[in-house]
Amino acid sequence: MATIDVRSVRKTFGKLVALDDVSFSVNDGEFFCLLGPSGAGKTTTLKSIAGLVQPDSGEVWLGGQDAGDIEPNHRNLAMCFESYALYPQHNVFDNMASPLRSPVLRLPDAEVRERVGRTAEMLGVGHLLDRGVDQLSNGQRQRVALGRVLVRPANAYLLDEPLAHLDAKLRTSMRAELKRIAHGELNTTTVYVTHDYVEALSLADRIGVIKDGRILQVGTPQQVWDTPETAFVAQAFGKPRISFVSGGLVSDNGTIRFISSDGAITIPVPGLDTGAAAGESVRIGIRPRDLVLHTGAGDQPASHERLDGVVYVLEHLGRQTEVTVRIGESLVSVVAPRGDVGGLAVDDKVSLLLDPATVHVFGDSDDGRRLTR
Amino acid sequence: MPLTAEAPPDRASPAPLADAPRVSRRRKALRPYLLSVPAVLLCAGILYPFFLGVSYTFFDFSAANPQPDVVGFDNFSTLLGSDAFWTSVRVTLVFALSATVLETVLGLGVALLLNRSSLIGKLFERVLIVPLMVAPILAAIMWKLLLLPEVGWVRPIANFFGVSNYNGTDSPVMAMVWAVVVDAWIFTPFVAIIALAGLRSLPKSPFEAASVDGASWWLTFRKLTLPMLWPYLLVAVIFRLMDNLKMFDVIFGLTSGGPGDSTTTLQISAYLEAISYARYSRGLTYMFLLWALVFVISMILVKYLRRIQDRAAGV
Amino acid sequence: MGPTTETTTEPVVDPATSAPARTKPPAPPTTANQRRAQRGSAAGLLANLALILYFAFSLLPVLFIVALSLKTNAEQTTTYLWFTPTLENYQTVLGLGDGGSSYVRFFFASLATSTGAVLVSLLIGIPAAYAAARYRFKGSEDLMFTLLSFRFAPELVVIIPLGVIYQQIGLYDTIFGMVWVLQLVTMPLVVWILRSFFQDLPAELEEAALLDGYTRRQAFLKIVLPLVRPGIAAVCLLAFIFAWNNFIFPFTLTSGDAQTVTVSSLAFLGGNQVRFNLVAAGAVMAVLPPLVLALCIQRYLVRGLSFGAVKG
Repeated sequence: MATIDVRSVRKTFGKLVALDDVSFSVNDGEFFCLLGPSGAGKTTTLKSIAGLVQPDSGEVWLGGQDAGDIEPNHRNLAMCFESYALYPQHNVFDNMASPLRSPVLRLPDAEVRERVGRTAEMLGVGHLLDRGVDQLSNGQRQRVALGRVLVRPANAYLLDEPLAHLDAKLRTSMRAELKRIAHGELNTTTVYVTHDYVEALSLADRIGVIKDGRILQVGTPQQVWDTPETAFVAQAFGKPRISFVSGGLVSDNGTIRFISSDGAITIPVPGLDTGAAAGESVRIGIRPRDLVLHTGAGDQPASHERLDGVVYVLEHLGRQTEVTVRIGESLVSVVAPRGDVGGLAVDDKVSLLLDPATVHVFGDSDDGRRLTR
Repeated sequence: MPLTAEAPPDRASPAPLADAPRVSRRRKALRPYLLSVPAVLLCAGILYPFFLGVSYTFFDFSAANPQPDVVGFDNFSTLLGSDAFWTSVRVTLVFALSATVLETVLGLGVALLLNRSSLIGKLFERVLIVPLMVAPILAAIMWKLLLLPEVGWVRPIANFFGVSNYNGTDSPVMAMVWAVVVDAWIFTPFVAIIALAGLRSLPKSPFEAASVDGASWWLTFRKLTLPMLWPYLLVAVIFRLMDNLKMFDVIFGLTSGGPGDSTTTLQISAYLEAISYARYSRGLTYMFLLWALVFVISMILVKYLRRIQDRAAGV
Repeated sequence: MGPTTETTTEPVVDPATSAPARTKPPAPPTTANQRRAQRGSAAGLLANLALILYFAFSLLPVLFIVALSLKTNAEQTTTYLWFTPTLENYQTVLGLGDGGSSYVRFFFASLATSTGAVLVSLLIGIPAAYAAARYRFKGSEDLMFTLLSFRFAPELVVIIPLGVIYQQIGLYDTIFGMVWVLQLVTMPLVVWILRSFFQDLPAELEEAALLDGYTRRQAFLKIVLPLVRPGIAAVCLLAFIFAWNNFIFPFTLTSGDAQTVTVSSLAFLGGNQVRFNLVAAGAVMAVLPPLVLALCIQRYLVRGLSFGAVKG
């Protein structure tokens, strides 16, 4: 087991900058998720750690050693490829046994059989050991590929979207299984690449959000959720997505308020950090679950601001309903229990209640940095 | 069921990273070059005689004159001023262009017919490659015998169709015609095989759409099949044109360049000069000019091919 | 390079989830051409007629030469189809009858030079093709195109100086000299086609093997090589055929010991008495090996003939 330090790694493919000054470190035994959209550089990061991609500059340290000159086969890392990379000429057993039989481990046959059998059972592919790889479904292939990793001890596991091709039900149960293995039994340092924020939030000790080859934020699931560093990070977590409203900051008797561009929304923004000043154009982010749909009756808590608008779209999601409300020119999403929206129709007038303390303020661009503490 | 906790550390865990063998960046960068060294040496072994040959064109090297002197561009000026050379150029171009056109048209036709997947087509597809696998020199000899009035079957066939003055390859025009026919006999399957592979890889939906729209066969062929097939066909055309420009075996076996100089291509001229008369420098000058011609044409065609392929790939 | 057709292996889907799809395969799509063929039987008839005509043209010389090779001396200058076939000519050519020739020796010279040329090309070509397929490095394309240019260079431009060199260093009329010069024929073929095979294999297979703990060499030998083995076999056969069929190199650079069957076939045409039936028998025997081998590699023929440019 080992720590992983990625230090200012830069990698270009021709004119394309795949990784731009990527730095993060993973502690011993930590489960680290790399979250980002496709093309963000997740796989390239993983392959740089594995030594399969030679960075143009920057370093990768493993277990306190500069690994630059260590060949991939001597780094003792196990990687699960998104393409599976199963050996087509071998059956499932031989695929999973491959790392155990390699010159690095060279385990005796009995132990190979025992380990492969155990891992295959755990992943639910125990009955497929004699099958050829071409006789497997994509979900089965993915589990075999994962098995080829979990079957062996390693300094670290590098997992590239290991659940992406499973069907929804299997994905959920495998996620739970993976969490149990990773945190409980193996306690092996793991870098887990995914585009699915739910996977990241539920599995990770810490999450690194990556976009366009840059790490935007590294933090615990709590940190990236509560205090996203940029608008992009805020938008990467949660469904429905966080709603953004563009506008500016104005000074009002010593307190700073936010006014949307069209003037329809005006709320106080407490907790601004020192970098923000009146007159600055910003955008605020409001998570749908931080809003309460005010159905007229009942009293409004003193701490909450009231926003008036009309229903723009209604989307029923089982027991809950996503309501998109138009306030002036801005669209804001809110999630309400099904019962609360019973009589509601498009263009009906509604009010939303918002605790200003939950509002996130960012600079006014996609890369806009967080201005709230 | 713990996976690693139980495993004895001495067996299941590899050597620590500190002991891992190290390979420097420079050595890694060197790897592809090391793999290519033998091939580079081989190239050098081929390019050396090539450049030696080019240098001979500036000498008056022959078997009669084994201690050659530098003559500058004399060989070139002599050659470019001689009728024999320009006849050779004309013969080479006539042969190469007609053979390439004939092979392309015939090959495309055969491919289209075979693509209809009739029973006869399936049967014939198996024997399609037979002429292609016959050594060209042997093909030429086979045809030489076939065309001989006293031995071959062509005379009786010609007589049957009312041709009474059949004389094989004795006339200059017919010698060239038969040389082209023999070349086409061997290499039409080459074009057909590549065109057929192309036809079979074309997407089905545009053709179904055209069929639904009631487009005529000719319109479908001209507007759909041919443009989509062109990248494939072009590969075949380039190969054939390059080969035909330097074709030796077929002409040598069939006519040896005759009658007269009616089928004396540049390669045949060079052969006669360099091997028969042992005038090495003269022969090489022929060859160098042919090489330059082939090189320039191939460069242009390959560039064009790349552009076509990029466009087909949607880049 | 090349207009690539999809060559990915389609994964076989889980039988459990795809049962309905299996029991009811989609009807094969009919092309516009096929449909029209059904509509107009006259067009179909014409097409078949055209095919038959072409294949008559295609097979006529072969039938003729086989027939001629079975004729006796007395009948060789007749064009009759009705004659008593004899194997005498084959015996003569093989040196079993009177006037025995060294045809068997030519045959073995062909075998030795062609096999040698293919082996040398493989040994040199596999690493080069692998490097060109897997690494981006300076000069890679230059090397590939230099090799390709050998295929298109007029042979005599190399033969004339090489003949002079061979005479000097004693390689004239030797098997080794032929193996060397035949690299012009086999090497471009081997390197270009193998590169296309290597490029078709995802690099992640080797990367997975590396992470499993195998060295680069082991990853290549254990994972890559077995997967391209059928392709390599096909390339070997094709290269062998082209080396075997080559004429101009042995014709100009050998005279006796290393002379091959293609050259020796000419021998019967010379001399004071032309024996057409012997020429025919010699030709038939020289043509047979490549024809038989060609039948084994039908699947890879397109890619082979087009140097990997068309994948078929």
